[in-house]
Amino acid sequence: MPATSKPELRRSVTPWGSFSWGYSDVGADIFVGLGLVLAAAAGASNVAFLFAGIVYVCIGLAYTELAATYPVAGGGQYFVLRGLGDVFGFIAGWAVLLDFTIDITLFAWTCVDYLSQLLPVLTGSAHPWVHFLATLGLILGLATLNVIGVRESSAFNGVVSALDVISETCILCFGFLFAFRPELLVHSMQASWPSPYQLMLGTSLAIISFVGLESISQAAQETQRPASVIPRTSIALILTILIFALAYSNLALGLAPQHPITDAAGHPIQFWQLFPNNGDNQGKAVALLAERIPIWGSLAAFYVPILGAVLLLISSNSGVFGSSRIAYAMSKSNLLPSIFQRVHAKFRTPAISIVAFGGVAVLELIFAAFPSLHPDATILYARFFRNESGLEFLADLYAFGAATSYSFVFLALIGLRLFDPLSPRKFKIPFNIPIRVGGERAEFPIVGVLGFIGIFSILIFTLFTHPIGRIAGPSWLILGLIGYFIYRRHRGLPVFTSHKRDWRKEQVEILRGAGELELMDEYVAAVKASDRRRLEAKA
Amino acid sequence: MLAVRAVLAVAMVACGLIVLLRVGALGLRVESLPGLVLGAAMIALGVHRISLILRARSGTVR
Repeated sequence: MPATSKPELRRSVTPWGSFSWGYSDVGADIFVGLGLVLAAAAGASNVAFLFAGIVYVCIGLAYTELAATYPVAGGGQYFVLRGLGDVFGFIAGWAVLLDFTIDITLFAWTCVDYLSQLLPVLTGSAHPWVHFLATLGLILGLATLNVIGVRESSAFNGVVSALDVISETCILCFGFLFAFRPELLVHSMQASWPSPYQLMLGTSLAIISFVGLESISQAAQETQRPASVIPRTSIALILTILIFALAYSNLALGLAPQHPITDAAGHPIQFWQLFPNNGDNQGKAVALLAERIPIWGSLAAFYVPILGAVLLLISSNSGVFGSSRIAYAMSKSNLLPSIFQRVHAKFRTPAISIVAFGGVAVLELIFAAFPSLHPDATILYARFFRNESGLEFLADLYAFGAATSYSFVFLALIGLRLFDPLSPRKFKIPFNIPIRVGGERAEFPIVGVLGFIGIFSILIFTLFTHPIGRIAGPSWLILGLIGYFIYRRHRGLPVFTSHKRDWRKEQVEILRGAGELELMDEYVAAVKASDRRRLEAKA
Repeated sequence: MLAVRAVLAVAMVACGLIVLLRVGALGLRVESLPGLVLGAAMIALGVHRISLILRARSGTVR
């Protein structure tokens, strides 16, 4: 929590706490992404998840290396600022801020969708006003709790994460043992292979199942000896999320439930066919899958909607908290006005940031819910936005923000490898090419290049296939950049170049603060040796 | 606690092998690729956990 004086975060997060912190954020994504991807990519949903999953593994490895090397809470924005300079740092941070505000709305929205499985009065298509007001109430409630300074404890996160890992493992084990038919999977894929456009749409939506890696760097800020702890917890987190996403999509396509599923006309359909053109089902896909699993399903039908809703609420809350924290970090780096550093006199929380970005989340909710609340607006949305649903609009922007910020993080990874080779990297992504830059030995990351190509292609897919995303996403960035240029000019700071900073001094402070004293000594020795070499070369 | 974690890690490797065998029986084709990656990821996670447990036993990791 930022304070008026120099803020210090207590480093008390354990390895399990670090895992559960990330899991409670990224783990909720599959609850949102599964239905959307099944609706878009049909028989190739697992291929969409596979492509996005491979890119996600590269992103996860990049975050792990960067968070272990620079354990500060700014996350992607800080890495890009340090690797590519102020303007790109602002763009990356601003894209992350868009993602956090969408995160608030999207996860509150799907939280209500999951609860509607038990409380039909919350169903969006039947009772749009109730759905809207419930989502709005959740957003305002979370913002109020954050202003007051009430957060869920890391112990609560740990319990929910553990319950969810056990629950999802049971669903998948029972599902693969008793309801999965590989030949049905092959049939679904061959008979319902989508068009290239739909596959691109599905792939761009699949990336939202893997968003939230900022939590790795946020956990790094509060973990003791992060350079040692973060790599092992991150790798477990990355693999766990990848396994769940691939397993759910394969199971959904090859599911042979005990009781046949029928459409409105009574014709038998496959499980994945529940999702196209059905926004209600898209928002609660995991609950619908869980209740159709033999044996475990009768129990899962009751608890999965509640567990999913709690996990989604935690994730929505991480959007409220994360946006204020990123705004605070950007403000400290002179990328945003100092107003975002101000804390409430009584509650000592960044109330202005919370209210500002909570307000953006409410606007996004109104835009997303408008067609269902006002029938006349449907014509307008159909004309300009190919009749996208509210959930799809939110997912569009979520995918755009994530793909943009992750693209810059890969470039920052490459830049920092080349121009900051002296910082000790206890975890390094494998497959590197040794090169010399400015007389120093550096390693060029091949995985960074492959990851950049992958995420950049997803960004292109997003712009190509999302009618609202390709307008609203770039508009958000352009508006932000205009504000940034005005602010920098007003403050007398360099507008297109970077403010001078002593990164070496800052790195020593970061490592000392993290308790990584051996790494700090290693860094200081490497810097001295480098300076000596330069002097000798000059002489 | 370490024993429970070890059992879970071994179970993960076993599940990965089962998925690999069931999906691998379809042959190497586009349709089996996501399943093969899923099985490989399960084995990788299990092996990662086992290596951490072994390091914890030898006292090099908390």
